[in-house]
Amino acid sequence: MLDLLHNLAVGFGVSLSPMNLFMCLIGALVGTLIGVLPGVGPLATIAMLLPITFGLPPVGALIMLAGIYYGAQYGGSTTSILINIPGESSSVMTALDGHQMAKQGRAGPALAIAAIGSFFAGCVSTVLVAALGAPLTSVALLFGPAEYFSLMVLGLCFAVVLARGSILKALAMVLLGLLLSMVGSDIETGQSRMAFDIPELSDGIGFVVVAMGVFGFAEIMRNLEQGESREVLKTRLTGLMPTWPDLKASASAIGRGTVLGSVLGILPGGGAVIASFAAYTFEKKVARDPSRFGRGAIEGVASPESANNAAAQTSFIPLLTLGIPPNAVMALMVGAMTIHGIVPGPQVMTKQPDLFWGMITSMWLGNLMLVVINLPLVGVWVKLLQVPYRFLFPAILIFCSIGVYSINNAPFDCVITAVFGLVGYWLVKHDFEPAPMLLGFVLGPLMEENLRRAMLIARGDPTTFVTRPISGTLIAIAIVLVAIAVLPTIARKREEVFVEE
Amino acid sequence: MSDSVGGVPEPEGRGSFVRAPRDFYGGLVMVAIALFALWASRDLPGMRGFAFGPGTAPRIFAVVLAALGIAVAATGVLAKGPSIDRFYVRGPFFITLSVVLFAWLVRPLGLVIASFLSIVAAAGATPEARLLETLIWGAVLTAFCVLLFPITLNLPMQLWPNSWDLASILKGLSSIR
Repeated sequence: MLDLLHNLAVGFGVSLSPMNLFMCLIGALVGTLIGVLPGVGPLATIAMLLPITFGLPPVGALIMLAGIYYGAQYGGSTTSILINIPGESSSVMTALDGHQMAKQGRAGPALAIAAIGSFFAGCVSTVLVAALGAPLTSVALLFGPAEYFSLMVLGLCFAVVLARGSILKALAMVLLGLLLSMVGSDIETGQSRMAFDIPELSDGIGFVVVAMGVFGFAEIMRNLEQGESREVLKTRLTGLMPTWPDLKASASAIGRGTVLGSVLGILPGGGAVIASFAAYTFEKKVARDPSRFGRGAIEGVASPESANNAAAQTSFIPLLTLGIPPNAVMALMVGAMTIHGIVPGPQVMTKQPDLFWGMITSMWLGNLMLVVINLPLVGVWVKLLQVPYRFLFPAILIFCSIGVYSINNAPFDCVITAVFGLVGYWLVKHDFEPAPMLLGFVLGPLMEENLRRAMLIARGDPTTFVTRPISGTLIAIAIVLVAIAVLPTIARKREEVFVEE
Repeated sequence: MSDSVGGVPEPEGRGSFVRAPRDFYGGLVMVAIALFALWASRDLPGMRGFAFGPGTAPRIFAVVLAALGIAVAATGVLAKGPSIDRFYVRGPFFITLSVVLFAWLVRPLGLVIASFLSIVAAAGATPEARLLETLIWGAVLTAFCVLLFPITLNLPMQLWPNSWDLASILKGLSSIR
């Protein structure tokens, strides 16, 4: 306990320095600014803003990125509530009741309760991350290559199961990501693999290049198809603060959402999405009058918002302790850390305690900033939503181009990104979800390395993954998980086949 | 599922045994990618005893991807699914053009000219863009980018061409590196 307080004190010492505080503020502000743009989720936001952190010292850069992440997520909730366009899947649930509240002229309280709920959840889960960080790091030390490999398999299975649409297709996307990550030089021998003598490919395909192409550019191409048909709410933002009954109604919902979110967030694979979904469903179950949900129940905003924020925070736990990104956003964080020369994993905490704790405490600060700066700025965000898309997309595009170019000062990287933009567009047209691909792409080199080592240690015996107890358990969970998800689909497909025949 | 298909007549003619074209063709492309990867990694050494070679992991992943691709394509034959959405040409074309233009011009002509032309090209992606509006917005955005990236964030970028000498600019334009 004393340790915990000491660690937090170290962390606040770092994150409260004026420079880092400023980074956090800028991050949260810019993150929200980009995040409220319709169709731009946290993933695209972080990918787009990554280059602006390059010139900063590592701690400052990561603190700023954490701020951008929370800002973007809050921005997503804002668009869900005001124009019924969830910026990302974790705020889909918020749109259900949030937009109804906005239609009833209660957008203010909905936004406020979303921020307050997020903040409360953020406080709790920050402490949780700090408390669980150390013990989990020691667990991580028990892990050998076989366990790491199995854990990543489990993480990918989670991502597959939670992805929308067909499981088979999500699996194919994971494999495509793994395959793409093999381009470049072999880790052990340095031999060039599938690079076709293109110098820009000899170091592998850049992570930002893939993310920006598949999420940023492809998203713009899709948005352009829909034309200018956004329904911007002519909101009268009368009265921002929630009333006393509002607060009373949402207090317990926030509590439940926080608990659910914190637990689900630690699980690898898209924690925030499932958390908000579970929290909303749970809230509806325990409500005295479930029929109010979907018609502007404030609990329906409070609970999923707290849950997704708690989950967003606790999903840093696997990243910081095991070095394994549990979802695509965290995968981007790994990319960012690697650019700054930090290898995520258990050694971060022991070797760079100021970075580790500084980042954890800055998460809490980031949440605080959101409440403090965003509530007064809601009016500005509403204005921003009214900017026509024909002005927005060239701006997004040019920022992305300059951003990609600035990573290596390599113009050819932009060309590769453009290609991935077209790939992403094609994938969406064929109902392939790009997020599992991105996760596979990040985990690919790690998986290969651990697979190789494990096989070498076991002298080429692949049963090592099943016979070692921890590894075997992880694999078993992964198999059960996929089986549970796949079996009903197969049954349904069979039925369809028989009906057709 | 069945009620959504209901009265809408399905467009026929695309080989009647393909019932979910998104799955079928999507799966086939995955198989093609896997085969391409196998071909591209053909001369990488594989297993040496029980040690992985550089080619082992790519081959494992490619084979699994091929298997999954076949499975996805198979579901496209077995179960009914929506037809493939229309592909729009205008948006993707001008977006790609804009990015490639930026990549091509940023070294020989500098950030200012490259950004401006890239933004103007991007505007072609939507029929809603007006010429004058685009030019003004392009100038404003370019100014903003100059202020943000090289000046505020201190990223090393050249604003203008090294020299206005036509021959050296043309030489720079001859490649995209």
